[in-house]
Amino acid sequence: MKSHLFRAAALFLAALVAFIATLVSGNQPLLGLDLQGGVSVVYQPKSDNVTDEALDEATDIIRNRVDALGVAEPEISRQGSTIVVDLPGVEQQQRALELVGQTAELRFRPVLASVGVASPFPISEDCPQELTIPEDDDPAATVLLPSIDGELLCLGPTLLTGNALETASASIAGGLLTGGGNAWQVNPTFREGPDGIDLFNEAAVLCNTQTIECPTARLAIVLDGLVQSAPTINVPFFNRDQIQITGNFEAEEAQDLATTLRFGALPVELEAQQTRTISASIGTDVLSSGVTAGIIGLVLVAIFLLSYYRLSGLVAIVGLLISAMLLWSIISLLGEAFGLALSLSGIVGLIVAIGVSADSNIVYFENVKDAVASGKRVITSVERAYRNSISTIIKADVVSLIAAVLLYVLTVGAVKGFALYLGIATILDLIIAMLFMRPMLLWLAQTDAAQTNPRILGLPDNAVTAAMLRKQGGKKKSSGSGNQSESNKKAKK
Amino acid sequence: MTLTSDLYNSRSKIDFAPIWKRSLPISLGLVVLGVIITSVFGVNRSIEFEGGALFSVPVEQSVTVGEVRDVVGVPQARIQRIENADGSSAMRVQIPTELASEFDRVGADLNAVLIPGEQISRDTVGPTWGSQITQSAVRALVLFFIVVAIYLAIRLEPKMALGALVAVVHDLVLTVTVYSILRIEVSPATVIALLTILGYSLYDTVVVYDKVLENWIEPANRRKKYSDLMNESMNQVIMRSVNTTITTVLPVASMLIIGAFLLGGDSLRGFAIALLIGLLLGTYSSIFVAAPLLAWIKERYPDPLPEKI
Repeated sequence: MKSHLFRAAALFLAALVAFIATLVSGNQPLLGLDLQGGVSVVYQPKSDNVTDEALDEATDIIRNRVDALGVAEPEISRQGSTIVVDLPGVEQQQRALELVGQTAELRFRPVLASVGVASPFPISEDCPQELTIPEDDDPAATVLLPSIDGELLCLGPTLLTGNALETASASIAGGLLTGGGNAWQVNPTFREGPDGIDLFNEAAVLCNTQTIECPTARLAIVLDGLVQSAPTINVPFFNRDQIQITGNFEAEEAQDLATTLRFGALPVELEAQQTRTISASIGTDVLSSGVTAGIIGLVLVAIFLLSYYRLSGLVAIVGLLISAMLLWSIISLLGEAFGLALSLSGIVGLIVAIGVSADSNIVYFENVKDAVASGKRVITSVERAYRNSISTIIKADVVSLIAAVLLYVLTVGAVKGFALYLGIATILDLIIAMLFMRPMLLWLAQTDAAQTNPRILGLPDNAVTAAMLRKQGGKKKSSGSGNQSESNKKAKK
Repeated sequence: MTLTSDLYNSRSKIDFAPIWKRSLPISLGLVVLGVIITSVFGVNRSIEFEGGALFSVPVEQSVTVGEVRDVVGVPQARIQRIENADGSSAMRVQIPTELASEFDRVGADLNAVLIPGEQISRDTVGPTWGSQITQSAVRALVLFFIVVAIYLAIRLEPKMALGALVAVVHDLVLTVTVYSILRIEVSPATVIALLTILGYSLYDTVVVYDKVLENWIEPANRRKKYSDLMNESMNQVIMRSVNTTITTVLPVASMLIIGAFLLGGDSLRGFAIALLIGLLLGTYSSIFVAAPLLAWIKERYPDPLPEKI
């Protein structure tokens, strides 16, 4: 019968190992903005028929923009048909948000000079001396912008925009003869006609012949004030679908550039539906009150369970502890792997879970008590009561799970966070009921202490007597507990 | 033998019948009254549902609402003083969505009354956003009711599914009614709390019904009146109901008292009040609404007896 104890201990140890591993790795739950302060914006596309791909792409582009701004720990996620941008901290974020929602334009500009590199070409006089700030990045102006590789480029007025492009792809160039191993190239395809390939060919002529408008023969592709690539134009005329941008591209670089060309601008027009600015002090207040309330609530529940159910109550408390350790690990993991933050609604979901978990234990313990009161032996009662209880617990938990899944799929924002943690906690409740609560009680029930004195399990101690009295068909009411233990002993013999 | 020790040993013999005779019609009457009250007076909807901008500005004690109103300069603004438990105070300024062009100016001007070094919290919500959120939540709720009804009908009985859903609707309607009467603001936090109540309430009812079903299967119980059987089953699960209510109310009550009143935390209060009301209602309805309702349905429309071979 020791196997019960081992099984229960195994789950406890597994939870403990997960918890310690999480602590050691320095992984912590990611806190939502309502708990640490910051700016949160929910964007929604202006038009209704937007593809999933476009939304994913827009999410990626926004993420790149925010990263480029150097905001610490931004959280950008797609939720249904909305994109949620969460930026911790408040000071500089308002400006950041203005840039995030812009439908930026992909611009093709001639390179006038590469600053900092000795240039054989005459540097245009109107080249700015300092980096152009985003507000001054006018399409018709001459600007000084950095490239992805860190080169500083002086660029002339925009010759054409991303509107001229149809699509772009990345592929491996020229086969074996190129000799450079896996040399990747990018293949842009322009639209037909005067608004497409013709515009590009006009620019190509300027650059290929190295006129004063394009002395370096290079045409820069600029997005969000950053030069994505500045290839040299080798011929004056191109067919719209036979253009190759070559260079020492790695696979990833080539694919990124192709993506930028394809979705340079945000593929959808976004509208801010909700903007929240939460001051850091309010966030911290809420967090500390929430945590204090949670801990005090837990302690009260623990005291109640212990005083009412004795050792069984202790089993319930250890079960809650396992649940807490696993939740901490899972929440930390979700934060680390998917950037999922724990918000106030999530904490409420967890406090609720304390109640649900205790509930399952109580359903079980009360069933055991019923069985004992009806005269069954402690060990039999524990086994029998489990069958009835687990069916009740599963029914109730399935209802909770249905709620969690539907809410998670069909809603956004705070409700979604609540649903996620409610769902996780409900599944843990089932696991702990089956793999910890039952084996622990089975093990406890067959110990000598529990057999002779069921009171330590929080059970009525007149079990066997009641059974004997019933068999005799005599008095229905049991006598006081004074001679109770005696009859117990007799019964055992 | 005292009642408490009887309860403790699941041997209580409380006669619920006379209580049920009154509690069922009274509760259902209250639900009707609640629907009327709520539809007449409506609820106090938070900015998330109304649209507009909400500023929360930490101010010195000496600053008055009038001074803030002068700074804001918009007659339609709703301005309210919030006294925090730690002695600090803040002004809540809400501006309707029609004045969207004024939002930035008001935000900047409010710095005049702000305690230096503190930050202004600001919520801006588009005019259609709240209704979209509400719609998606209502859609989820309707679907939830359908799926749960089917599930309970299969796992328990169709009549039990009906009884459980009536009890849940009872809890939701009465919680919203309390919000309507006390004019407590209904925010997304409240919506979440209501969804939680739903879960608890169903859990309570499922436990009661499961016990009746378990007893009903015993051949000896088949000849009993359903309400008598319900009475017996209720006595068996009453301690469970009381104890689980205690264990769920303890964390929520500590959230309300510690979180909302001692340490301050406006957003916690929104959750805790609805949860507390809903939890107590959930326990009440599982004992005094769901149970008698099922007995009433069963006796009025008895199940066909199993055919004799």
